[in-house]
Amino acid sequence: MRIDLQNISLRFGDHEPLFEGVDLKVESGDFIVVEGSSGVGKSSLLRLLNRLQEPTTGRLLVDNAPPRDADITQLRRRAVLVPQTPIMGAGTVRENLCWPLSFRANCARIPPTDEVLRQRLDGLLLQDVELDDEARTLSVGQRQRLALLRALLLEPEILLCDEPTAALDGEARSVLEKQLEARCSAGMGVVIVTHQGVSAPAAETRRVILRHQALQVVA
Amino acid sequence: MNPIDIGPSQLLLCLLFVAIAGGASLVMGLRLERDLLWGTVRTFAQLFLVGYVLDAVFAIDTPLLVVLVFIFMVFWAAHAVRGRVRGTGVSVFLPTFLSMVLSYLVVTMLVTAVVVQVEPWWAPQYFIPLGGMIAGNSMNAISVCLERLLTGLRERREAIELALSLGASYREATSDLLADAVRAGMIPSINALMTVGLVSLPGMMTGQILAGAQPTSAVKYQIVVMLMLVASTAIGAVVVAFFVRRRCFTRAHQLRQEAL
Repeated sequence: MRIDLQNISLRFGDHEPLFEGVDLKVESGDFIVVEGSSGVGKSSLLRLLNRLQEPTTGRLLVDNAPPRDADITQLRRRAVLVPQTPIMGAGTVRENLCWPLSFRANCARIPPTDEVLRQRLDGLLLQDVELDDEARTLSVGQRQRLALLRALLLEPEILLCDEPTAALDGEARSVLEKQLEARCSAGMGVVIVTHQGVSAPAAETRRVILRHQALQVVA
Repeated sequence: MNPIDIGPSQLLLCLLFVAIAGGASLVMGLRLERDLLWGTVRTFAQLFLVGYVLDAVFAIDTPLLVVLVFIFMVFWAAHAVRGRVRGTGVSVFLPTFLSMVLSYLVVTMLVTAVVVQVEPWWAPQYFIPLGGMIAGNSMNAISVCLERLLTGLRERREAIELALSLGASYREATSDLLADAVRAGMIPSINALMTVGLVSLPGMMTGQILAGAQPTSAVKYQIVVMLMLVASTAIGAVVVAFFVRRRCFTRAHQLRQEAL
């Protein structure tokens, strides 16, 4: 999968544009870290890639063609966004993890067994979280990892993460980053928005810095 | 039993009641005298006017004109809903108007043609008061429903956008909210079924009794009215909620800024 943002600008109402003339190409297998100070539009960039937000000008191409409105849920299933706030609905951890599988766009996915879920939780250092725990009562750091796992269970082609490690300690952070890198090596595209950088970036990482109104590709 | 007609002098005698309220206002320094006077004048003027209009309307013998009068009433009901639902950039007037016309027309026609079996079904002395009662009562249900829907979109924005970003359609992302909104709209008319006759005697029934009808006969009409209100509230709230929810999202299932 490939998403192209071409000459994109974004402004809200009469405010100054958040950015102008931005070009960005994201492909399966890419590992892109978007840095920039807060309020510069990093989250909006992810929302554009997930088409949760329409650009003011410029165009977005999916696999070299303008996306059709009718395919929007399929696009979002393939390029999943994990927002910064790890929102959990009422219900157990299991119910929250399997919730997106109830959407029509995801109906082809087979719900994972408890064993698989247990394994995946353990892999994210969530050994003390039970599948029957009330998801809303967990800590922010735990919910952040659950939110990531919930997105990964959809097997996306591109994963868009907004500050996925903001509430995590050093060990959990490095485990999570390693998992994302492994996924990336297996062909999944990863775009991470962060203000704290990635601790040990993989060799093929592209660093993109969003400064006042413009994107700058660093490496 | 024939109703006792109230003559002009008896009506004027009622001004005594206004004088009592005015006296209280004067003695206690409430400064309500002007409002009382103006309110009294308006009550006389508005009600006599509507009386003459209804006399004229009841003389109409074409169904098209009766339906037009009905649509005029619904137009003002939809206008009132628009006034109550504030704080949103999404236009609610057209969806409200259309859903009201649709639901109220169907329910009123069912009542006159099938339940009461009026000949013809559009006889204005049945069709207009029944339609007016539906419009007046269901207006509240639709306001409550829309208010709940639009407030919910603002309050649950993050959760709704989360669902969208994980592949949900706008319908899937808001199905709980839609149900909440419709439920909120329907509950008052269902609650009214529980308390009617215990807490208060409904205005229509009281009016019929005062006008000389047997209480048991008035009760039957009141039951018809209560049940038709439940149906019209349900249809109105459901249809308007679906229409307005659609307007809050783009074709690409993005939550519109102006809906927030």
